[in-house]
Amino acid sequence: MEIFLKRLAVQTHRDKELLDITDQVEQVIKESRIKRGLVLVLTMHTSSGIIVTEGLPCIEKDILNHFTKLAPKDGDYYHNRFLDIDGRLGFNADAHLQSVLGGIFVIFPILNGQLVKGSRQRIYFAEYDGPLEREYCVQVIGE
Amino acid sequence: MKIDFHTHPVLVREMWEKYPELEHVARDIFFIRNRPQPLETFILELTISGLDRAVLLPIDATTTRGCTIYSNQQIAELCQKDPRFIGFCSVDPHNPDAPVVLEQAVKELKLRGLKLSPPTQEFFPNDRRLVYPLYEKAEKLGIPVIFHAGMSWEPRARLKYAHPLLLEDVAADFPDLRIVIAHFGWPWVLDTIALALKYHNIYIDTACLYFGNPKHFLSFVMKEQIPLSVIEKSLREKIVFGSNYPRVEIKNMVYAISQLGLSSECLELIFSYNPQKVLGEV
Repeated sequence: MEIFLKRLAVQTHRDKELLDITDQVEQVIKESRIKRGLVLVLTMHTSSGIIVTEGLPCIEKDILNHFTKLAPKDGDYYHNRFLDIDGRLGFNADAHLQSVLGGIFVIFPILNGQLVKGSRQRIYFAEYDGPLEREYCVQVIGE
Repeated sequence: MKIDFHTHPVLVREMWEKYPELEHVARDIFFIRNRPQPLETFILELTISGLDRAVLLPIDATTTRGCTIYSNQQIAELCQKDPRFIGFCSVDPHNPDAPVVLEQAVKELKLRGLKLSPPTQEFFPNDRRLVYPLYEKAEKLGIPVIFHAGMSWEPRARLKYAHPLLLEDVAADFPDLRIVIAHFGWPWVLDTIALALKYHNIYIDTACLYFGNPKHFLSFVMKEQIPLSVIEKSLREKIVFGSNYPRVEIKNMVYAISQLGLSSECLELIFSYNPQKVLGEV
């Protein structure tokens, strides 16, 4: 069994947005030369996520709007306090909660060196507290 | 032309790569632990916040901390990278040549104002012997001076140097010097307000966040510690928008100010006219 790991950077441009990274994930699978196995896509942050949905702008907007309703920006959060580890206040609990709600990773099968997914499925990097340069990793496991 | 009057470029990754000591400065002196970001992130912050320009503030703490939190040259270098940046300089008040350094920074590096942080630089801003020559030079050069006032998160900073009332002598003795009291002077908000009401040359920036979130904190300061009508009616020409980025994202502070219930005319003054006036542009 082989394991291939790649860390990728993405510059987000908005406070909240979904960036389609399906092509980048497929490229990593190709680079790995692994024909059968699994691919894991994982964000390296706690205020962003990795999700799968249909590649339509309307759905992308609905997802972000819904997450904002579930975890609103101005909520009364315990996280709204000074954090020694950051040297600043942590008032982005909404982003952390949205990350939990949407999840931070996805796993897909690989067969014949190709991502096995539904025809409408796309993999997204979900930004909940941008704009920021973010990192995610793609790990391909198989043979 | 909307301006953020209070930013610190301490997490710009390109500068860390070029000047590795800036990591220690950010982490251990300025005391911010977030990871560095490309300059593009700073610009995007401005853009999504609907702002056009940002004042970059350094602190020369050579005597007290053995470093500069960005040198004047580094600030000038950043200004060369993007025209949206307005560079301020800082000088070490304990340096007898501080007035000369200030003049060079303004005339040669084209920096537009002076930043002083009494709790970091450890001086009382009304110390006539130490800093009055500096104010005389700044007044002569026609540049504004922005003072850190009130609470500081830096572990070694002492609040005794940061009381806004220490600036009364400066305002009275240098009537042509435009002075910005940063952070609303929090927790001494009423003292800060009193100075801004009394002295024509005193301005206040909004870069304060010490608990809660930006919306709740600024609402507490500008609607509960004082009535909002004081801002709307008496201080509308004395407040400049400042975010304190990257301790707070610009987008969050813009949102917080915009949610206070101030008139659009007053917001225009805070974001545009007043900062330009302090900079001597209008």
